[in-house]
Order: sequence, then structure tokens, then C-alpha cells
Amino acid sequence: MSNKLSSSVPTDREVVLGVLNDSEDTLNKLYTGYFPMVLQFILNNNGDEDDAKDVYQEGIIVLYNKIKGGNFELSSKLKTYIYSVCRRIWLKKLSQESRKTNNISDFEDIMAVEVDLEQHEEKDQQFDKMNDALLHLGEPCKTIIQDFYINSLSMQDICEKFGYTNTDNAKTQKYKCLQRLKKLFFQV
Amino acid sequence: MRNEIELEGIIEDYLNGKLSEEERVAFEQLRKNDPIVDHKVVAHKVFLESLGDYANMMDLKAKMDRAHAEIDVDALTEALRPHPSYIVNLWRKNKAAIAVAASFILLTVVTVYSIQQNTKQSGSVELVSRELTKIKNSQSSLIRIINSKNTPKNVKPANFGGTGFALTANGYLLTNLHVVDGADSVYVQDNKGESYKAKVVRTDSQYDLAILKITDPSFSPLSNLPYRLKQSGIGMGDVVYTLGFPKDDAVFGEGYVSSKTGYNGDTTQYQVAIPVNPGNSGGPLLDHQGNIIGVISAKEKQVDGATFAIKSKYIQEALNSIPNDSLGKKVAFNKRNSLQGLSRNKQVQKIQDYVFMIKVYK
Repeated sequence: MSNKLSSSVPTDREVVLGVLNDSEDTLNKLYTGYFPMVLQFILNNNGDEDDAKDVYQEGIIVLYNKIKGGNFELSSKLKTYIYSVCRRIWLKKLSQESRKTNNISDFEDIMAVEVDLEQHEEKDQQFDKMNDALLHLGEPCKTIIQDFYINSLSMQDICEKFGYTNTDNAKTQKYKCLQRLKKLFFQV
Repeated sequence: MRNEIELEGIIEDYLNGKLSEEERVAFEQLRKNDPIVDHKVVAHKVFLESLGDYANMMDLKAKMDRAHAEIDVDALTEALRPHPSYIVNLWRKNKAAIAVAASFILLTVVTVYSIQQNTKQSGSVELVSRELTKIKNSQSSLIRIINSKNTPKNVKPANFGGTGFALTANGYLLTNLHVVDGADSVYVQDNKGESYKAKVVRTDSQYDLAILKITDPSFSPLSNLPYRLKQSGIGMGDVVYTLGFPKDDAVFGEGYVSSKTGYNGDTTQYQVAIPVNPGNSGGPLLDHQGNIIGVISAKEKQVDGATFAIKSKYIQEALNSIPNDSLGKKVAFNKRNSLQGLSRNKQVQKIQDYVFMIKVYK
């Protein structure tokens, strides 16, 4: 395939398949393809490029969760979906920060995305809770947990990395860390 | 403590499906019997899922950050920030709407155009003024010279020809504008072959009519006009006839009114079924009583017998629109029609003296 083709915005079907297959290439194309649209919207509605980045990434996350959730149907163009989601997120942010929101300048068609965003907010809360919990957990617990559960290192690897004398010690340490993390996570 | 750690390990293996079949059955039995263990399993499951989601999100964010780093955000920002110009903003915001409107207009134009094309009568209209060839005319003028040796002035052949008829006894004639349009000089020739110089005194481009005045000193006024202008309309199927000069002698043509509208539904014209030829333009159209009901002006190409005549109503309108003083004397038709009741050949005989051949030099 030529360079020109690969640099263009992927088709909607390509995106859905790419997301389901965790293709980083698709993500890159998707991300670069639609960012200007959202950037234009945010810039013209009282925001700057950093706002655009935050809003856009959140919008992409919503799209990912929706596709991964398996109940994604292409009832409209992907472009419209992304635009509508980002628009909704940005308007909510504006009202939370009580910035001026009258006279919204729109550039694309809009569709109803409220249900998806409610689901997203629940997930987002879980994410924030986990993030907070990990922050409060402190080192080295945080790293041990991340290495074991996220980076899928074996107990043996962790034992060597942190200099424990045997895996049983490492397991005990991990257990303690996990108990603390669970406590933090479930109590918040 | 030790047991707790082991229990946790078993729960994790259980949730990840790493237990053997035996161990799984045994563990599920334990879970059933001990609500505390069951609760731990559920809580751990929720926790692991949250942790998994968290990991996925972190991964996705990291990937997006990498993608973001490749975008030239500053340049994009510069290009996309609110433009100071109102017009540019309007265009950006309403691109889609403008595109839709434009294509709609385009579609409408195309549709209307194609409908017009479809409803048009096929074939185009041909004005039946006669373009005389030089050879024909040199022949005909030779004949004329032989016939009337006292009119030696008209030896040069005419370029264009048509028909006209008398409006008044003192030399005002009516013909089509397209017959005399752009003429350098105009001569008219009567039934006896006499030629007289004439000038165009009035034109009406709306109805394609022109009024000529015979200026030649040798012209002697005609006797009273036999026909009159019929103002009221005429119906489809009425028998009509015309007299014209498609050649150098008058030619009679008879037919009927085939439509009350002319070319393309033109309401100022009739369509009549009379075969006409170039040279018939400007000829009078008369009904069976000898009333003038129109002026032959055009025929349709490719269609036989579809001739168009300007309705007499518009002849009158054209006459009325002419200021009286510009014609010297008010143009008025006879109230009386001396042709009424006469047979067709008698009518034609009388009318012949009032129908002229128009010869145009361009």
C-alpha cells in the first residue's frame, strides 16, 4: 500500500476491527485522523489545545469501551459519533468550570450519545478510584502490584527485581500490599 | 497468615482458570459451604476486573500520547483557531449546509431545464422569409424588366423576400419585422409586377411586426380596402387561407386553424395547417369571410403543415401603440367587409391587389 493510503483516515469498519484486535496502527490512524476535527471544535468554543487533547482522548476511550463492549453498531458515521461524544464531554467540562457556554459553534452533525457517556462515567470513576488507591499505596507496593498484575511478571522475577531472599517472602510482601490496596480501593 | 496467602493464591488461580478439574470442584464445594470464602472470591473478582480495566486504560492512554506526540499540534492550532473573519467562520460552520444548498440549486436547474426541454415541441421554428439566390433573382428580374419596361430602376436582384399587405389605401403596408430587419432598402412589388420604393416606418419586435410606407412618387393610392381586421378570436377547425410570395407570383394556400397557440404554447399566435414556404412571411391570414385574422410569421421545421400566424389582436395592439402622428394619418381598417358572401376565387381576386411582395436589399 502506498504511503498516501496509509496516512489517510481509516474506514469505519477498519477502525472497529482494528480496535477489536488491539491494533496500535489503527489507533494511530484513528487518533491522527479525527484529532483536527475535535481540536477545531474546542478552539472555537472557549478551549485550548490541551483541553482538546484531554477531551479527545476521553472521547476515544469512550469509543474503545463501546466497541470492546461488543454492542457497537455503526448506526452513524464514526466521525459523527466521535464528534458528538467529544462535544458532550467538552460542554460538560465547560459547565463544571462555569465557563461561558452560549453560542456553541458546531462543525459536524450531532447524534445522541448520553447513554454511552453515563456508562463511561461509571467506568471513569472506577478508574479514578484505582488510580487514587495506587497513589496512596506508595512504593514499593505500587510497583510490585503493577509488575505482577499489569505487567504480568512472575513471582520469581519480582523476587529478583526487589532483592527478596526467596519467593515466599515476595509472596508475603505482595499479599500484604494487595490487602492494603483492596482496603483502599473498596473503602473510597 | 500462611493459610490466608494460600487461599488468596487459590482464589486467583480459580479466577484465572488455572486450577485442575479436581481442585476446581473441591474449591467450589468450599465456596458453597463457607460464605466468607465466597465473599472473598467475589470481591477479588471485582478488584481484578477493575485492575484490568485500569491497566487497559493506562495502556490506551500511553498509546494515544505517543500518537499525539506525532501530531503537529501547533500548526493545526494555528490553522483551526477561530478566524477573525466572519465570512470564513460562516463558511467553516455551514460547509455542509452550503454544499447541500448548492447541490439542490444545481439539481433544480437541471430538472427545470430538462422539463423545459421535454415539453418543448420537437423541431425548431423557421422564419419563412425568403432568401433569394442570386441566380433565381437575376432570372426573375429579367422577367420583370420584360414585363414592365417602364420600371428600369429595379435591376439589382433582391437578397430577401417576403409578403406584406395593405393597411391603408394610401400605401401603408404590414409585414413581419424579420422580413425587413436590417434592410438597406426595401422595395415592394404589386400583383401587376410594378415595383415601388418603400421605407420602414415602424417596427414592433415584441410581435415581430413592421409597418412600411410606400414612398415612391409613381405610386397611386389604392381603392378602399376590401377586408377588415377581425378582432374577436377564431376557433380551432375554422377554414383559413393566405396569399403570399414564396415565388415571384402570388400563391394561394388554404388550411384550417389547428391550434389556438403557436410555437411552444405562444398565446400571441395561432397554429394553422397551411403549407407555406420561405417568402410567405408577412402574408395575411384570412377566414372564409375575408376577414384578416392574423399574419403568417413562421413554420416549424421537421413538421409538415405547422405554420404559425400572429393573431390579429396583436396587429391591432401594434397599430394602437403607434402614435398617430408618426404615421401621418391614423391607420384604420374598414368597418365594412366587402368580401363577405363572395366566393373564394372572387375574394382572392380582390385581395390580390392589396398583397405585395416585399423585396429587401441588405
